[in-house]
Amino acid sequence: MPVRYRAEDQQYAARRWTRRGLIRAGAAGAAGAAAAYASAGCGLWDRQPDPQPSADPLDAVRLDALRLAALCDAAVVAYPDLASRLNPIREAHVAHATELARVIGAPAANPASASPTSVPVGGAIAALAAVRAAEQEAQRTATRLCLTAPASRAALVGSIVAALATHQEVLR
Amino acid sequence: MDDGNLTDQAAAALGAALAAEHAAIFAYGPIGVRLTGAAAGQARSAEAAHRARRDALVVALTDAGATAPPAQPAYALPYPVTDRASALRLAADIENRTAAVWRAALPPTTDTDRANALAALIDCAVRATRWRRLAGVVPATVPFPGKPA
Repeated sequence: MPVRYRAEDQQYAARRWTRRGLIRAGAAGAAGAAAAYASAGCGLWDRQPDPQPSADPLDAVRLDALRLAALCDAAVVAYPDLASRLNPIREAHVAHATELARVIGAPAANPASASPTSVPVGGAIAALAAVRAAEQEAQRTATRLCLTAPASRAALVGSIVAALATHQEVLR
Repeated sequence: MDDGNLTDQAAAALGAALAAEHAAIFAYGPIGVRLTGAAAGQARSAEAAHRARRDALVVALTDAGATAPPAQPAYALPYPVTDRASALRLAADIENRTAAVWRAALPPTTDTDRANALAALIDCAVRATRWRRLAGVVPATVPFPGKPA
C-alpha cells in the first residue's frame, strides 16, 4: 500500500490495532484478526517505522514564531488600522524565527511558509484578542522549553518568552 | 530557590541580580517623586516588586551559603531625573538593566532557580514596556528583552 503514514499516525494505528485485536482475539482468535487486517490492506505488520529524525525541541518555538508572524500579517490585511500595533510584533516574531533557525540549524523560512492562517473575523478587537491568545499559548510552550533548555540556549529562549509576554501587554 | 545548592556561576549570577535589584529600588525613589497619578502608582508597585525579588534573593543566596551583596548607601544615576519625561525614561532603563541581569541568570541556573529568574525577566520586560507606553515610546516592545545591545 503506497500510503505513507507519519510516525504518530502509525503509533495511533498500532494502538487501535492492539485494542481491536484484543477484542477480536476473544471472539475469533488473534491470528484470525491479524489475517482480517492484513487482507484489508493495512499492512501494519510488515512496514518498518519511518526513521523520522527527532526534531529539535526549539523547533516548536520557531514554528510558533512563524505562525504568529503570519497571524499578525493576516490581521493587518483584514484590519489595516492595526498595522502600527501589530507590525513591530510581527517583526519580533520574524527575528525570533531567524535567530532560532540559526541556533538549531534549520533552514531559514518566512512567515508565508507557515500553515495557512485564517483571517480573524469579528472585527479588529476580536483580531487583537486572537493574536493575544496565540501569544499566550506560544509563551506557555516557550516557557516549558526555557526551563529545560541547555545553558547555551536558555537566555535566547528566555528573551523570547519575555517578548511574548510584552506583546500581550500591548495587545490589551 | 529552595534547594540551597548553587553552583559558583549561579551564585555569581544571582549576586549580580541582587546588586541590580538594590540599584533599582534606589532609583525608584527619585523616579517616584517626579510622577503623579497612575504613573506614581506604577512606580510604587514596581518598587515593591523589586523589593520582593531582593528579599527572595537574599534568602536564596544566604541559604546556599553564598555571599549576598549588601545595598550601597547611594547609587549614581545615569542622568538627572528632573521631570516626568526623565523619570519615565529612567524607569524604562532600570527595568532594561534588571531584565539583562535576570536573563544572564538563566544559563547557570536550573529548575526552581531558573523559573524564578525567568519570572523576574518577564516582569522586568513587561514593566519596561509599560513605562515606554506611558512615555509614548514607539514601539513599546523590543524583540529580545534583556539581551545586551
